[in-house]
Amino acid sequence: MSRPYPMSQPPESNHQDLSSSANDSFELDGNIEPDSGTGLPPFELEPPPATSDSSAQQVELYLPERDPEQPEQTPQLELEGMAPPVFAITLDDGHQARFQYAANLLESLEAQQIDVHFQCREGYCGSCRAQLLSGEVHYANDPLAWLNEGEILLCCCIPRSDVKIKL
Amino acid sequence: MAYTTFNRNEFDTFKQPMFFGEHVNVARYDQQKHKIFENLIEKQLSFFWRPEEVDLTNDRKDFLDLPDHEKHIFVSNLKYQTLLDSVQGRSPNVAFLPVVSLPELETWIETWSFSETIHSRSYTHIVRNIVPNPATIFDDITRNEHITRRAVSVTHYYDSFIELSNYYQQLGEGTHTVNGQAVEVNMHELKRRLYLTLVSVNVLEAIRFYVSFACSFAFAERAKMEGNAKIIKLIARDEALHLTGTQHMLQIIARGKDDADFAVIAEECKADVVRIFAEAAQQEKEWADYLFKDGSMIGLNKDILCQYVEYITNQRIAALGFDRIFEARSNPLPWINSWLNSDNVQVAPQESEISSYLVGALDSEVDTNDLGDFDL
Repeated sequence: MSRPYPMSQPPESNHQDLSSSANDSFELDGNIEPDSGTGLPPFELEPPPATSDSSAQQVELYLPERDPEQPEQTPQLELEGMAPPVFAITLDDGHQARFQYAANLLESLEAQQIDVHFQCREGYCGSCRAQLLSGEVHYANDPLAWLNEGEILLCCCIPRSDVKIKL
Repeated sequence: MAYTTFNRNEFDTFKQPMFFGEHVNVARYDQQKHKIFENLIEKQLSFFWRPEEVDLTNDRKDFLDLPDHEKHIFVSNLKYQTLLDSVQGRSPNVAFLPVVSLPELETWIETWSFSETIHSRSYTHIVRNIVPNPATIFDDITRNEHITRRAVSVTHYYDSFIELSNYYQQLGEGTHTVNGQAVEVNMHELKRRLYLTLVSVNVLEAIRFYVSFACSFAFAERAKMEGNAKIIKLIARDEALHLTGTQHMLQIIARGKDDADFAVIAEECKADVVRIFAEAAQQEKEWADYLFKDGSMIGLNKDILCQYVEYITNQRIAALGFDRIFEARSNPLPWINSWLNSDNVQVAPQESEISSYLVGALDSEVDTNDLGDFDL
């Protein structure tokens, strides 16, 4: 019900030619030209963090090596004649990101190198609680964690409009 | 108000507060004032696991190879975890069940406490695997002054509430003479002590446990004691749910969604809440001092653990709507997230540990159109 990647492809298609499909036909998140017709303001992402020399075991424990904001890895129902809606995510510290393909806001932010606290990733621990300063979000499943007025749980919601949040 | 195991009164369950209303009677869940507790119960049941599922044979070898100061860190940490779960396996039942007034909350408390008993059993499973005689470890929990000092701070609020609550059940409100001593029992003080107990339980689950988890995972981060870390992962998953449970109780009380008097008490106790969090952080730092008295281990030392104490304290008190106590810092142990993430517990969906894998889940919706091409 709330596994992080409920729509992941069946195993046989998981490994197919990611190298060839990853860089054509789709406009990838995290790799954005300022004026790509989405009406978003130009912005810069943080430089990627220095890669750490973690052991093989640690790599295995970290999140799967996939980018949830790449459409091939997060397939969605085709919408006829239109791309999935794109919403801008603005953080209170000025960072910007955008949401298009990921299963939830937490994944989307992580894919765009924005550090978010997390633990359970399915709505009960409350670690990824954030303040929604403006905009609207939608929950497919109601979260179990307590939420104060104006707070959202990033691991189980998707934006319904451009959002501004404070981590 | 004397306790009765089956209250004969008729009452409207939606008018009952969480605590100190009518005693519960029929354990029914068709009418729920706070549905969240039913959701928590379902989640907790889906988490069910047994310590024997985790193989610890490699841990024995790892433990024998640890240098002495790391053995001290591992064993002391394990003793502390054992103490915490010994308390949590019984105290919610003893303290809260006699005064609870909602069936779904009563069942949540029982489910919560039961899962803590699984944790306690898993510590015995771990200890049996690493030392020939488990008594050497368990006996020390009541003898070692560093551990017993922890026990005092963990149980103080429970004991103080249970004492007064017992008088209330036997004698009711008023001033009574018990064994020649005057005992004053009033509802305000009862509710105040209950609220502070809930806060201290939240501190126990949300801060104290997490400090101990950090130590357990620090070993596994170096590929030592990995079986132990697997068990702690399962425990951490449960504790994340339990602390959500206490956060809900505290917030429902504080927002006056339950009992207007209680909301006033929560307001009065604001300074106490901050003090309880700050004291716990200080105690955890002193504990870190004891853990690392003979030397640090790779990846974790006293300073880093103290920074983690401050970080986690800030996170938890903010979740209750209070200002952060310590200077805002980022997580000094970023690798702990991947250990705390329950979806990394295991991978095969047919195994029991994935919470979202529900036995017997099927689509029972049948539309008339589905039978359109059906001929007899």
